[in-house]
Amino acid sequence: MNLVQEIDTIAQQNAARIVYDNLGTTNTYRDLKQRSDALAAQIDRLALADHAPIIVYGDQTFNTIVAMLACAKSGHAYIPVDRHSPAERLTMIEEISHAPLVIAINALPIALPGVQVIAPAALNLICQQVVPYSLTHPVNGDQIFYIIFTSGTTGKPKGVQISHDNLRSFVDWMVQDFGLPQHVVGLSQTAYSFDLSVMDLYPTLLLGGELQALDRETTGDFKRLFSALGNLKINFWVSTPSFADICLLAKTFDQAHYPQLTHFCFCGEELTASTARRLKQRFPQARIFNTYGPTETTVAVTAIEITDDILNRYDRLPIGYAKADTRVWVASTGADQSGEIMISGPTVSQGYLNAPDKTAQAFDPSDQYPAYHTGDVGVQTADGLLFFGGRMDFQIKMHGYRIELEEMNHYLNKQPQVHQGVIVPKYNHEHKVAALIAYVVTKTKQDLAQTNATLTETIKRALQTELMPYMMPQQFVYRDQLPLNMNGKVDIKALIKEVNPNG
Amino acid sequence: MDTKQTIIAILQDITGADVSDDLDQNIFDSGLVDSMATVEMLLELQDQCGIDVPISEFDRNQWNTPNKIIEKVASMQ
Repeated sequence: MNLVQEIDTIAQQNAARIVYDNLGTTNTYRDLKQRSDALAAQIDRLALADHAPIIVYGDQTFNTIVAMLACAKSGHAYIPVDRHSPAERLTMIEEISHAPLVIAINALPIALPGVQVIAPAALNLICQQVVPYSLTHPVNGDQIFYIIFTSGTTGKPKGVQISHDNLRSFVDWMVQDFGLPQHVVGLSQTAYSFDLSVMDLYPTLLLGGELQALDRETTGDFKRLFSALGNLKINFWVSTPSFADICLLAKTFDQAHYPQLTHFCFCGEELTASTARRLKQRFPQARIFNTYGPTETTVAVTAIEITDDILNRYDRLPIGYAKADTRVWVASTGADQSGEIMISGPTVSQGYLNAPDKTAQAFDPSDQYPAYHTGDVGVQTADGLLFFGGRMDFQIKMHGYRIELEEMNHYLNKQPQVHQGVIVPKYNHEHKVAALIAYVVTKTKQDLAQTNATLTETIKRALQTELMPYMMPQQFVYRDQLPLNMNGKVDIKALIKEVNPNG
Repeated sequence: MDTKQTIIAILQDITGADVSDDLDQNIFDSGLVDSMATVEMLLELQDQCGIDVPISEFDRNQWNTPNKIIEKVASMQ
Protein backbone atom coordinates (compact mmCIF):
# COMPACT_ATOMS: atom_id res chain seq x y z
CA MET A 1 0.00 0.00 0.00
CA ASN A 2 1.12 3.54 -0.60
CA LEU A 3 2.88 4.95 2.46
CA VAL A 4 1.52 8.48 2.05
CA GLN A 5 -2.02 7.17 1.66
CA GLU A 6 -1.61 5.05 4.78
CA ILE A 7 -0.24 7.92 6.89
CA ASP A 8 -3.12 10.09 5.67
CA THR A 9 -5.67 7.47 6.74
CA ILE A 10 -3.99 7.04 10.13
CA ALA A 11 -4.02 10.83 10.58
CA GLN A 12 -7.79 10.84 10.03
CA GLN A 13 -8.41 7.91 12.36
CA ASN A 14 -6.27 9.44 15.12
CA ALA A 15 -7.20 13.08 14.55
CA ALA A 16 -7.33 14.03 18.22
CA ARG A 17 -4.11 12.26 19.19
CA ILE A 18 -0.86 14.13 19.68
CA VAL A 19 1.64 13.41 16.92
CA TYR A 20 4.43 15.82 17.87
CA ASP A 21 5.56 17.22 21.18
CA ASN A 22 8.34 19.75 20.93
CA LEU A 23 9.37 20.54 24.52
CA GLY A 24 5.74 20.94 25.56
CA THR A 25 4.37 22.51 22.35
CA THR A 26 2.06 19.84 20.97
CA ASN A 27 0.33 19.20 17.66
CA THR A 28 -2.25 16.57 16.73
CA TYR A 29 -2.76 14.30 13.74
CA ARG A 30 -5.56 16.69 12.75
CA ASP A 31 -2.94 19.48 12.51
CA LEU A 32 -0.65 17.17 10.53
CA LYS A 33 -3.33 16.39 7.97
CA GLN A 34 -4.73 19.90 7.69
CA ARG A 35 -1.34 21.59 7.36
CA SER A 36 0.19 19.01 5.00
CA ASP A 37 -2.95 19.15 2.81
CA ALA A 38 -2.81 22.95 2.62
CA LEU A 39 0.91 22.96 1.86
CA ALA A 40 0.60 20.15 -0.72
CA ALA A 41 -2.14 22.14 -2.48
CA GLN A 42 0.14 25.18 -2.53
CA ILE A 43 3.03 23.11 -3.98
CA ASP A 44 0.66 21.81 -6.68
CA ARG A 45 -0.28 25.39 -7.57
CA LEU A 46 3.39 26.24 -8.20
CA ALA A 47 3.33 23.73 -11.09
CA LEU A 48 6.92 22.59 -10.60
CA ALA A 49 8.40 20.07 -13.02
CA ASP A 50 7.06 16.57 -12.28
CA HIS A 51 8.87 14.90 -9.39
CA ALA A 52 11.41 17.75 -9.06
CA PRO A 53 12.96 17.54 -5.58
CA ILE A 54 12.18 20.18 -2.95
CA ILE A 55 14.59 21.33 -0.24
CA VAL A 56 13.12 21.37 3.26
CA TYR A 57 15.26 23.61 5.46
CA GLY A 58 14.61 23.34 9.18
CA ASP A 59 15.18 21.26 12.26
CA GLN A 60 13.27 19.58 15.12
CA THR A 61 9.95 21.38 14.75
CA PHE A 62 6.48 20.19 13.76
CA ASN A 63 6.38 22.15 10.50
CA THR A 64 9.47 20.30 9.26
CA ILE A 65 7.59 17.00 9.22
CA VAL A 66 4.51 18.80 7.83
CA ALA A 67 6.68 20.01 4.92
CA MET A 68 8.24 16.59 4.28
CA LEU A 69 4.81 14.97 4.19
CA ALA A 70 3.40 17.73 1.97
CA CYS A 71 6.18 17.14 -0.58
CA ALA A 72 5.35 13.41 -0.62
CA LYS A 73 1.64 14.15 -1.04
CA SER A 74 2.27 16.40 -4.02
CA GLY A 75 4.51 13.82 -5.69
CA HIS A 76 7.89 15.44 -4.99
CA ALA A 77 10.97 14.08 -3.23
CA TYR A 78 12.20 16.16 -0.32
CA ILE A 79 15.80 16.97 0.55
CA PRO A 80 16.11 17.67 4.28
CA VAL A 81 18.80 20.25 5.09
CA ASP A 82 19.44 21.01 8.73
CA ARG A 83 19.40 24.69 9.64
CA HIS A 84 22.71 24.30 11.47
CA SER A 85 24.49 23.52 8.18
CA PRO A 86 26.90 26.11 6.76
CA ALA A 87 25.35 28.31 4.06
CA GLU A 88 27.82 26.92 1.53
CA ARG A 89 26.30 23.47 1.89
CA LEU A 90 22.85 24.76 1.02
CA THR A 91 24.25 26.36 -2.15
CA MET A 92 26.06 23.17 -3.11
CA ILE A 93 22.99 20.98 -2.58
CA GLU A 94 20.98 23.42 -4.68
CA GLU A 95 23.60 23.25 -7.46
CA ILE A 96 23.59 19.46 -7.53
CA SER A 97 19.85 18.93 -7.14
CA HIS A 98 18.48 21.89 -9.17
CA ALA A 99 15.62 21.96 -6.66
CA PRO A 100 13.11 24.56 -7.96
CA LEU A 101 11.67 25.20 -4.49
CA VAL A 102 12.85 25.55 -0.90
CA ILE A 103 10.41 25.29 1.99
CA ALA A 104 12.11 27.32 4.70
CA ILE A 105 10.88 26.38 8.16
CA ASN A 106 13.63 28.70 9.38
CA ALA A 107 14.82 31.78 7.51
CA LEU A 108 17.45 30.93 4.90
CA PRO A 109 20.98 32.17 5.70
CA ILE A 110 21.64 33.13 2.05
CA ALA A 111 19.74 34.00 -1.10
CA LEU A 112 19.42 31.21 -3.67
CA PRO A 113 19.07 32.94 -7.05
CA GLY A 114 16.42 31.52 -9.35
CA VAL A 115 14.85 29.33 -6.70
CA GLN A 116 11.33 29.80 -5.34
CA VAL A 117 11.16 30.00 -1.56
CA ILE A 118 8.24 29.50 0.78
CA ALA A 119 9.54 31.64 3.64
CA PRO A 120 8.59 31.02 7.30
CA ALA A 121 5.91 33.74 7.39
CA ALA A 122 4.25 32.50 4.19
CA LEU A 123 4.44 28.93 5.44
CA ASN A 124 2.63 29.89 8.63
CA LEU A 125 -0.13 31.53 6.61
CA ILE A 126 -0.47 28.49 4.33
CA CYS A 127 -0.58 26.18 7.35
CA GLN A 128 -3.54 28.10 8.80
CA GLN A 129 -5.69 27.42 5.76
CA VAL A 130 -8.16 24.56 5.51
CA VAL A 131 -7.95 23.19 1.99
CA PRO A 132 -9.69 19.98 0.94
CA TYR A 133 -7.00 17.90 -0.77
CA SER A 134 -7.47 14.69 -2.65
CA LEU A 135 -4.47 12.45 -2.75
CA THR A 136 -4.22 11.76 -6.47
CA HIS A 137 -0.48 11.77 -7.10
CA PRO A 138 1.56 10.97 -4.00
CA VAL A 139 5.11 9.65 -4.38
CA ASN A 140 4.75 5.97 -5.24
CA GLY A 141 6.65 2.88 -6.43
CA ASP A 142 10.13 3.67 -7.78
CA GLN A 143 9.61 7.42 -7.46
CA ILE A 144 12.00 9.13 -5.06
CA PHE A 145 10.64 9.83 -1.58
CA TYR A 146 13.63 11.58 -0.03
CA ILE A 147 17.21 12.48 -0.90
CA ILE A 148 19.81 12.68 1.84
CA PHE A 149 23.16 14.28 1.15
CA THR A 150 26.24 12.64 2.61
CA SER A 151 29.88 13.60 2.60
CA GLY A 152 31.59 13.09 -0.77
CA THR A 153 35.28 12.64 -1.56
CA THR A 154 35.93 15.68 -3.74
CA GLY A 155 34.26 18.35 -1.70
CA LYS A 156 30.92 17.70 -3.37
CA PRO A 157 28.29 15.95 -1.28
CA LYS A 158 26.42 12.98 -2.77
CA GLY A 159 22.61 12.87 -2.81
CA VAL A 160 21.38 9.38 -1.91
CA GLN A 161 17.97 8.79 -3.51
CA ILE A 162 15.54 6.67 -1.52
CA SER A 163 12.37 5.61 -3.32
CA HIS A 164 8.87 5.05 -1.96
CA ASP A 165 9.37 1.28 -2.23
CA ASN A 166 12.79 1.45 -0.50
CA LEU A 167 11.22 3.31 2.40
CA ARG A 168 8.12 1.08 2.48
CA SER A 169 10.28 -2.02 2.81
CA PHE A 170 12.38 -0.48 5.59
CA VAL A 171 9.42 0.81 7.59
CA ASP A 172 7.52 -2.50 7.35
CA TRP A 173 10.57 -4.29 8.75
CA MET A 174 10.81 -1.84 11.66
CA VAL A 175 7.13 -2.20 12.50
CA GLN A 176 7.08 -6.01 12.18
CA ASP A 177 10.44 -7.15 13.55
CA PHE A 178 11.07 -4.87 16.52
CA GLY A 179 7.87 -5.46 18.49
CA LEU A 180 6.88 -1.80 18.64
CA PRO A 181 3.42 -1.25 20.19
CA GLN A 182 0.48 0.64 18.65
CA HIS A 183 0.62 4.37 19.47
CA VAL A 184 4.30 4.07 20.31
CA VAL A 185 5.93 7.22 21.69
CA GLY A 186 9.27 7.73 19.96
CA LEU A 187 12.23 10.04 20.52
CA SER A 188 12.98 12.48 17.70
CA GLN A 189 16.49 13.69 18.43
CA THR A 190 18.60 13.08 15.33
CA ALA A 191 18.58 15.80 12.67
CA TYR A 192 16.16 15.12 9.81
CA SER A 193 19.08 15.55 7.40
CA PHE A 194 20.61 12.42 8.94
CA ASP A 195 18.77 9.25 7.88
CA LEU A 196 18.78 7.78 11.38
CA SER A 197 15.79 10.11 11.95
CA VAL A 198 13.80 7.99 9.47
CA MET A 199 14.04 5.12 11.97
CA ASP A 200 11.84 6.93 14.48
CA LEU A 201 9.76 9.17 12.20
CA TYR A 202 7.95 6.76 9.86
CA PRO A 203 7.46 3.74 12.15
CA THR A 204 5.97 6.10 14.75
CA LEU A 205 3.58 7.69 12.21
CA LEU A 206 2.49 4.29 10.88
CA LEU A 207 1.67 3.14 14.40
CA GLY A 208 -0.40 6.26 15.08
CA GLY A 209 2.18 7.22 17.67
CA GLU A 210 3.78 10.36 19.00
CA LEU A 211 7.21 11.89 18.51
CA GLN A 212 8.81 13.77 21.38
CA ALA A 213 11.51 16.06 20.06
CA LEU A 214 14.82 17.25 21.46
CA ASP A 215 16.43 19.93 19.33
CA ARG A 216 20.09 20.76 19.06
CA GLU A 217 19.91 23.80 21.29
CA THR A 218 18.64 21.48 24.02
CA THR A 219 20.97 18.52 23.47
CA GLY A 220 23.99 20.83 23.22
CA ASP A 221 23.54 22.19 26.73
CA PHE A 222 23.76 19.65 29.56
CA LYS A 223 21.61 21.62 31.97
CA ARG A 224 18.79 22.03 29.46
CA LEU A 225 19.16 18.50 28.15
CA PHE A 226 18.80 16.83 31.52
CA SER A 227 15.84 18.92 32.49
CA ALA A 228 14.10 18.20 29.14
CA LEU A 229 15.03 14.51 29.31
CA GLY A 230 13.25 14.23 32.64
CA ASN A 231 10.00 15.33 30.98
CA LEU A 232 10.08 12.73 28.20
CA LYS A 233 7.63 9.85 28.36
CA ILE A 234 8.91 7.72 25.51
CA ASN A 235 8.80 3.97 24.76
CA PHE A 236 11.04 3.94 21.75
CA TRP A 237 14.53 5.40 21.81
CA VAL A 238 16.43 5.99 18.56
CA SER A 239 19.83 7.65 18.63
CA THR A 240 23.50 7.14 18.04
CA PRO A 241 25.31 5.34 20.85
CA SER A 242 27.17 8.62 21.47
CA PHE A 243 23.95 10.36 22.47
CA ALA A 244 23.04 7.51 24.83
CA ASP A 245 26.50 7.94 26.41
CA ILE A 246 25.62 11.55 27.21
CA CYS A 247 22.32 10.55 28.80
CA LEU A 248 23.99 7.80 30.81
CA LEU A 249 26.01 10.51 32.55
CA ALA A 250 22.85 11.27 34.53
CA LYS A 251 22.32 8.75 37.29
CA THR A 252 18.57 9.17 36.93
CA PHE A 253 18.63 7.81 33.38
CA ASP A 254 17.30 4.41 34.40
CA GLN A 255 14.23 2.18 34.44
CA ALA A 256 12.90 3.66 37.69
CA HIS A 257 12.76 7.15 36.16
CA TYR A 258 11.72 6.07 32.66
CA PRO A 259 9.46 3.07 33.28
CA GLN A 260 7.78 3.29 29.83
CA LEU A 261 11.08 3.09 27.94
CA THR A 262 11.04 -0.42 26.44
CA HIS A 263 13.01 -0.18 23.18
CA PHE A 264 16.43 1.20 22.32
CA CYS A 265 17.46 1.15 18.66
CA PHE A 266 20.99 2.17 17.76
CA CYS A 267 22.51 2.89 14.40
CA GLY A 268 24.89 5.37 12.82
CA GLU A 269 28.07 4.25 14.55
CA GLU A 270 29.50 1.32 16.43
CA LEU A 271 27.65 0.35 19.61
CA THR A 272 30.39 -0.59 22.05
CA ALA A 273 29.97 -3.39 24.57
CA SER A 274 30.61 -0.92 27.39
CA THR A 275 27.74 1.39 26.36
CA ALA A 276 25.39 -1.59 25.89
CA ARG A 277 26.40 -3.07 29.24
CA ARG A 278 25.83 0.18 31.12
CA LEU A 279 22.46 0.60 29.43
CA LYS A 280 21.44 -2.97 30.28
CA GLN A 281 22.31 -2.35 33.93
CA ARG A 282 20.19 0.80 34.02
CA PHE A 283 17.30 -0.65 31.99
CA PRO A 284 17.28 -4.38 32.72
CA GLN A 285 13.82 -4.82 31.21
CA ALA A 286 14.25 -2.82 28.00
CA ARG A 287 15.15 -4.41 24.68
CA ILE A 288 18.32 -3.04 23.10
CA PHE A 289 18.83 -3.42 19.34
CA ASN A 290 22.04 -2.84 17.46
CA THR A 291 21.47 -2.16 13.77
CA TYR A 292 23.64 -1.43 10.76
CA GLY A 293 23.22 0.00 7.30
CA PRO A 294 24.56 2.73 5.04
CA THR A 295 22.30 5.62 3.94
CA GLU A 296 22.42 4.03 0.44
CA THR A 297 20.41 1.03 1.67
CA THR A 298 17.76 3.00 3.62
CA VAL A 299 18.82 3.50 7.24
CA ALA A 300 19.53 -0.10 8.31
CA VAL A 301 19.46 -3.62 6.90
CA THR A 302 20.79 -5.76 9.74
CA ALA A 303 19.74 -5.96 13.38
CA ILE A 304 20.29 -7.97 16.52
CA GLU A 305 18.92 -7.71 20.02
CA ILE A 306 21.76 -7.26 22.50
CA THR A 307 21.00 -9.71 25.29
CA ASP A 308 23.11 -10.64 28.31
CA ASP A 309 24.12 -13.75 26.41
CA ILE A 310 25.43 -11.67 23.48
CA LEU A 311 27.26 -9.36 25.90
CA ASN A 312 28.92 -12.30 27.59
CA ARG A 313 29.91 -13.86 24.31
CA TYR A 314 31.44 -10.95 22.37
CA ASP A 315 33.90 -8.17 23.20
CA ARG A 316 33.08 -6.35 19.99
CA LEU A 317 29.33 -6.57 19.43
CA PRO A 318 27.87 -8.08 16.26
CA ILE A 319 25.85 -5.76 13.99
CA GLY A 320 23.18 -8.34 13.29
CA TYR A 321 21.41 -10.53 10.77
CA ALA A 322 20.05 -9.26 7.45
CA LYS A 323 16.37 -8.46 7.20
CA ALA A 324 14.52 -11.41 5.63
CA ASP A 325 14.18 -10.06 2.08
CA THR A 326 17.74 -8.72 1.86
CA ARG A 327 20.99 -10.43 0.99
CA VAL A 328 24.03 -9.23 2.92
CA TRP A 329 27.34 -10.93 2.26
CA VAL A 330 31.06 -10.43 2.61
CA ALA A 331 33.06 -10.32 -0.60
CA SER A 332 35.85 -12.21 1.07
CA THR A 333 39.39 -11.35 0.17
CA GLY A 334 41.68 -12.19 3.07
CA ALA A 335 42.67 -15.42 4.74
CA ASP A 336 40.81 -14.19 7.82
CA GLN A 337 37.54 -14.31 5.83
CA SER A 338 37.10 -10.57 6.13
CA GLY A 339 36.14 -8.45 3.15
CA GLU A 340 33.81 -5.79 1.86
CA ILE A 341 30.20 -5.95 3.08
CA MET A 342 27.80 -6.15 0.11
CA ILE A 343 24.06 -5.48 0.27
CA SER A 344 21.32 -6.34 -2.20
CA GLY A 345 17.62 -6.04 -1.51
CA PRO A 346 14.46 -3.96 -1.81
CA THR A 347 15.87 -1.09 0.25
CA VAL A 348 18.95 -0.53 -1.93
CA SER A 349 18.92 2.92 -3.53
CA GLN A 350 18.82 3.50 -7.30
CA GLY A 351 21.93 5.63 -6.85
CA TYR A 352 23.15 9.18 -6.35
CA LEU A 353 21.21 12.16 -7.67
CA ASN A 354 22.63 13.50 -10.94
CA ALA A 355 25.87 11.56 -10.48
CA PRO A 356 25.88 8.52 -12.82
CA ASP A 357 29.66 7.98 -12.46
CA LYS A 358 29.54 7.82 -8.69
CA THR A 359 26.48 5.57 -8.90
CA ALA A 360 28.23 3.17 -11.30
CA GLN A 361 31.24 2.97 -8.97
CA ALA A 362 29.21 1.97 -5.94
CA PHE A 363 26.22 0.01 -7.27
CA ASP A 364 26.25 -3.16 -9.38
CA PRO A 365 23.13 -3.40 -11.51
CA SER A 366 21.36 -6.73 -11.40
CA ASP A 367 18.09 -8.33 -12.49
CA GLN A 368 16.10 -7.66 -9.37
CA TYR A 369 17.84 -5.33 -6.92
CA PRO A 370 21.15 -3.52 -7.32
CA ALA A 371 24.04 -4.61 -5.10
CA TYR A 372 25.70 -1.85 -3.08
CA HIS A 373 29.42 -1.86 -2.26
CA THR A 374 29.45 -0.49 1.27
CA GLY A 375 33.18 0.13 1.56
CA ASP A 376 32.83 -1.33 5.06
CA VAL A 377 34.91 -4.32 6.07
CA GLY A 378 33.14 -7.17 7.81
CA VAL A 379 33.16 -10.84 8.68
CA GLN A 380 30.12 -13.10 8.72
CA THR A 381 29.49 -16.35 10.56
CA ALA A 382 28.08 -19.42 8.77
CA ASP A 383 24.58 -18.61 10.05
CA GLY A 384 24.78 -15.05 8.74
CA LEU A 385 25.72 -13.02 11.82
CA LEU A 386 27.66 -9.96 10.70
CA PHE A 387 30.56 -8.19 12.44
CA PHE A 388 31.92 -4.77 11.51
CA GLY A 389 35.65 -4.35 11.07
CA GLY A 390 36.30 -0.80 9.89
CA ARG A 391 36.54 0.99 6.55
CA MET A 392 38.31 0.19 3.30
CA ASP A 393 38.84 3.88 2.50
CA PHE A 394 39.27 7.11 4.41
CA GLN A 395 35.66 7.47 5.41
CA ILE A 396 35.21 7.72 9.16
CA LYS A 397 32.32 7.90 11.58
CA MET A 398 32.54 10.49 14.31
CA HIS A 399 29.74 10.63 16.86
CA GLY A 400 27.47 9.09 14.23
CA TYR A 401 28.38 11.51 11.44
CA ARG A 402 29.80 10.11 8.26
CA ILE A 403 32.86 12.03 7.12
CA GLU A 404 35.10 11.52 4.09
CA LEU A 405 38.60 12.60 5.11
CA GLU A 406 39.35 13.34 1.46
CA GLU A 407 36.55 15.89 1.36
CA MET A 408 37.94 17.70 4.37
CA ASN A 409 41.47 17.55 2.97
CA HIS A 410 40.14 19.18 -0.17
CA TYR A 411 38.88 22.16 1.84
CA LEU A 412 41.96 22.34 4.03
CA ASN A 413 44.24 22.47 1.00
CA LYS A 414 42.17 25.25 -0.56
CA GLN A 415 43.17 27.64 2.23
CA PRO A 416 45.72 30.24 1.09
CA GLN A 417 48.06 29.60 4.03
CA VAL A 418 48.19 25.84 3.48
CA HIS A 419 50.86 24.31 1.27
CA GLN A 420 49.95 20.77 2.20
CA GLY A 421 47.52 19.46 4.77
CA VAL A 422 45.80 16.29 5.84
CA ILE A 423 43.30 15.48 8.53
CA VAL A 424 43.94 12.43 10.65
CA PRO A 425 41.53 10.66 13.00
CA LYS A 426 42.56 10.00 16.59
CA TYR A 427 40.97 6.79 17.89
CA ASN A 428 40.28 6.24 21.59
CA HIS A 429 40.76 2.91 23.34
CA GLU A 430 37.33 1.71 22.14
CA HIS A 431 38.24 2.14 18.43
CA LYS A 432 35.98 5.17 18.15
CA VAL A 433 37.14 8.37 16.49
CA ALA A 434 37.59 10.77 19.39
CA ALA A 435 39.15 13.73 17.60
CA LEU A 436 40.38 15.01 14.24
CA ILE A 437 43.88 16.41 13.96
CA ALA A 438 44.95 18.56 11.01
CA TYR A 439 48.61 18.31 9.98
CA VAL A 440 49.67 21.32 7.98
CA VAL A 441 52.74 22.52 6.12
CA THR A 442 52.34 26.27 5.62
CA LYS A 443 53.04 27.96 2.29
CA THR A 444 55.55 30.54 3.43
CA LYS A 445 57.84 30.89 6.36
CA GLN A 446 56.12 34.19 7.00
CA ASP A 447 53.03 32.30 8.05
CA LEU A 448 55.08 30.64 10.72
CA ALA A 449 55.99 34.05 12.06
CA GLN A 450 52.41 34.35 13.21
CA THR A 451 51.81 32.44 16.35
CA ASN A 452 50.33 29.05 15.63
CA ALA A 453 47.23 29.91 17.62
CA THR A 454 46.47 32.92 15.40
CA LEU A 455 47.08 30.89 12.26
CA THR A 456 44.79 28.12 13.52
CA GLU A 457 42.13 30.69 14.32
CA THR A 458 42.34 32.12 10.78
CA ILE A 459 42.15 28.72 9.06
CA LYS A 460 39.31 27.56 11.30
CA ARG A 461 37.28 30.67 10.58
CA ALA A 462 37.65 30.10 6.83
CA LEU A 463 36.78 26.40 7.14
CA GLN A 464 33.67 27.18 9.18
CA THR A 465 31.96 28.58 6.11
CA GLU A 466 32.37 25.30 4.23
CA LEU A 467 32.53 22.44 6.70
CA MET A 468 29.75 21.08 8.88
CA PRO A 469 30.54 21.93 12.53
CA TYR A 470 31.23 18.28 13.37
CA MET A 471 33.91 18.13 10.67
CA MET A 472 36.10 20.82 12.26
CA PRO A 473 39.47 19.44 13.43
CA GLN A 474 39.97 19.81 17.17
CA GLN A 475 43.69 20.37 16.80
CA PHE A 476 46.10 21.83 14.25
CA VAL A 477 49.71 20.70 14.15
CA TYR A 478 52.27 22.55 12.01
CA ARG A 479 55.18 20.70 10.45
CA ASP A 480 58.03 21.57 8.10
CA GLN A 481 57.15 18.52 6.03
CA LEU A 482 54.77 15.56 6.02
CA PRO A 483 55.67 11.91 5.31
CA LEU A 484 55.14 10.96 1.66
CA ASN A 485 54.28 7.58 0.18
CA MET A 486 55.82 6.04 -2.93
CA ASN A 487 53.51 8.02 -5.20
CA GLY A 488 54.71 11.26 -3.69
CA LYS A 489 51.40 11.88 -1.94
CA VAL A 490 51.06 12.58 1.75
CA ASP A 491 51.19 9.23 3.51
CA ILE A 492 47.98 9.43 5.53
CA LYS A 493 48.39 5.88 6.81
CA ALA A 494 51.78 6.72 8.32
CA LEU A 495 50.28 9.73 10.07
CA ILE A 496 47.34 7.66 11.34
CA LYS A 497 49.92 5.25 12.81
CA GLU A 498 51.82 8.13 14.38
CA VAL A 499 48.67 9.53 16.00
CA ASN A 500 47.46 6.09 17.11
CA PRO A 501 50.60 4.20 18.10
CA ASN A 502 48.63 1.46 19.88
CA GLY A 503 45.94 1.09 17.23
CA MET B 1 49.44 7.36 38.58
CA ASP B 2 48.38 10.38 40.53
CA THR B 3 45.31 12.41 39.66
CA LYS B 4 47.27 14.90 37.60
CA GLN B 5 48.90 12.25 35.44
CA THR B 6 45.63 10.38 35.07
CA ILE B 7 43.87 13.48 33.81
CA ILE B 8 46.66 14.35 31.39
CA ALA B 9 46.48 10.77 30.07
CA ILE B 10 42.68 10.95 29.70
CA LEU B 11 42.93 14.20 27.74
CA GLN B 12 45.67 12.69 25.59
CA ASP B 13 43.48 9.65 24.79
CA ILE B 14 40.50 11.80 23.90
CA THR B 15 42.11 14.66 22.00
CA GLY B 16 45.44 13.27 20.87
CA ALA B 17 47.09 16.35 22.36
CA ASP B 18 49.63 16.48 25.17
CA VAL B 19 48.37 19.27 27.42
CA SER B 20 51.17 18.98 29.99
CA ASP B 21 53.15 22.02 28.73
CA ASP B 22 50.25 24.36 29.41
CA LEU B 23 47.89 23.26 32.14
CA ASP B 24 46.11 26.61 32.15
CA GLN B 25 44.98 26.55 28.51
CA ASN B 26 41.27 26.81 27.93
CA ILE B 27 40.39 23.47 26.39
CA PHE B 28 36.93 24.58 25.22
CA ASP B 29 37.90 27.92 23.64
CA SER B 30 40.68 26.28 21.64
CA GLY B 31 38.22 23.68 20.34
CA LEU B 32 40.42 20.90 21.74
CA VAL B 33 37.46 19.52 23.67
CA ASP B 34 34.03 19.82 22.07
CA SER B 35 30.70 18.78 23.56
CA MET B 36 31.05 15.10 22.64
CA ALA B 37 34.62 15.00 23.91
CA THR B 38 33.35 16.55 27.16
CA VAL B 39 31.08 13.54 27.57
CA GLU B 40 33.93 11.14 27.02
CA MET B 41 36.10 13.09 29.44
CA LEU B 42 33.44 12.95 32.17
CA LEU B 43 32.87 9.22 31.58
CA GLU B 44 36.59 8.54 31.89
CA LEU B 45 36.85 10.70 35.02
CA GLN B 46 34.00 8.70 36.55
CA ASP B 47 35.64 5.40 35.65
CA GLN B 48 39.28 6.18 36.35
CA CYS B 49 39.08 8.68 39.21
CA GLY B 50 35.98 7.29 40.90
CA ILE B 51 34.17 10.62 41.05
CA ASP B 52 30.57 11.46 40.26
CA VAL B 53 30.07 14.62 38.29
CA PRO B 54 26.68 16.19 39.08
CA ILE B 55 25.90 16.40 35.40
CA SER B 56 22.63 18.30 35.59
CA GLU B 57 24.55 21.14 37.25
CA PHE B 58 27.61 20.88 35.04
CA ASP B 59 29.16 24.31 34.53
CA ARG B 60 31.77 24.32 31.79
CA ASN B 61 33.55 27.34 33.27
CA GLN B 62 34.58 25.32 36.27
CA TRP B 63 36.17 22.64 34.08
CA ASN B 64 37.77 24.64 31.27
CA THR B 65 41.50 24.12 31.95
CA PRO B 66 43.51 20.99 32.82
CA ASN B 67 44.48 22.60 36.15
CA LYS B 68 40.85 23.32 37.05
CA ILE B 69 39.89 19.74 36.21
CA ILE B 70 42.73 18.39 38.37
CA GLU B 71 41.67 20.62 41.25
CA LYS B 72 37.99 19.78 40.84
CA VAL B 73 38.60 16.03 40.71
CA ALA B 74 40.93 16.12 43.72
CA SER B 75 38.28 17.98 45.72
CA MET B 76 35.69 15.36 44.85
CA GLN B 77 37.81 12.30 45.61
